[in-house]
Amino acid sequence: MRPARTRNPAALMALILAQVACAGFFAWDVTRDGIALAPLWPPDWHFAAEAAAVLGLIAAVVFESRALMRLLTRNAHLERQASLAAGALADLIETHFRDWGLTRSETDVAWFTVKGCSIAEIATLRGSAEGTVKSHLNAIYRKAGVAGRGELLSLLIEDMLSPPSAAAGAADAPAALPDPGASPAGGRAV
Amino acid sequence: MKDFRVWDPLLRVFHWSVVVLFTANALFTDPDEGLHRWIGYAIAALVALRVAWGLVGPRRARFSDFLPRPGAVLAQLSDIATGRRRVHLGHTPLGALMILNLLVTLAAICATGWMMGTDAFWGVEWVEEAHEALVTWAELSVVAHVAAVIWESVRTGVNLPRAMVTGRKSVPEDAMIVE
Repeated sequence: MRPARTRNPAALMALILAQVACAGFFAWDVTRDGIALAPLWPPDWHFAAEAAAVLGLIAAVVFESRALMRLLTRNAHLERQASLAAGALADLIETHFRDWGLTRSETDVAWFTVKGCSIAEIATLRGSAEGTVKSHLNAIYRKAGVAGRGELLSLLIEDMLSPPSAAAGAADAPAALPDPGASPAGGRAV
Repeated sequence: MKDFRVWDPLLRVFHWSVVVLFTANALFTDPDEGLHRWIGYAIAALVALRVAWGLVGPRRARFSDFLPRPGAVLAQLSDIATGRRRVHLGHTPLGALMILNLLVTLAAICATGWMMGTDAFWGVEWVEEAHEALVTWAELSVVAHVAAVIWESVRTGVNLPRAMVTGRKSVPEDAMIVE
């Protein structure tokens, strides 16, 4: 089971804004100290520790912003979050898209494709030209190593059909079932 | 490209006047001279005019047209996160937040600047510090504003700086338009 995550973008945004304010204030403070201490030799350990703390704070803001973007993407793709199963499946599909290294736009197009939208519909929904959607689709198929929409779907559905664990599979599944370790999500317990 | 008239002349004159006057006072004029004060009064008058225009002006200038709802802010962020290209004809929700921030900050700068010249607050330290801190905040906001305008122009394909000059937004044919 996944660890519980924040599902509320507004809370994360408030946290990011607060940390940006803190980071801005401390960065300004450290810069002033740095100018006062110039040329910073011999090294001042108090200043070094403060500067490292500020850099850590800025790094935290960057990571949180990325998390916020992922959360917004996820929410945009999960219009109905009613069922737990839908959320779990979405996580699984999302993992694939990440592993394939799809860009933001490609991920969006891939979701609409999985949901059965036509190229024209996707173009309208995303406010882009059909040619753009087609080139996104080509990139998706290439990165996923499939020939088209049908293969893409069967690749994603395969995860749902594979046995929950290797031990349970060995006990009562027919020998014809593929080894779970060979499937793209083999290591992942559903 | 489809053209939409969005910014009225008064709004554009307000925008560029504030750009010139704020730049002058933040970077060039001597705070102890009369010119700095007169420019400050002019900015205060412009801000007051803009607030009044936000209540009685044409559609796109009104606060009721662009006061951002939290849902709209999230929707614009989601568009950025998913690479969707949806164009707002008026101010975007995030842009509206910046407008409100700048209007409030400019008003506060004018207020503290005026206070420094009054008998009651003459030489009072916190007023002067607040005035300078607010100016720093405004400068950071301006940098963020310009960066965001360039970013949004590239992202949506609508040349926003040109729209603030000509009053017209040129929206690409295939872009989806949201209010």
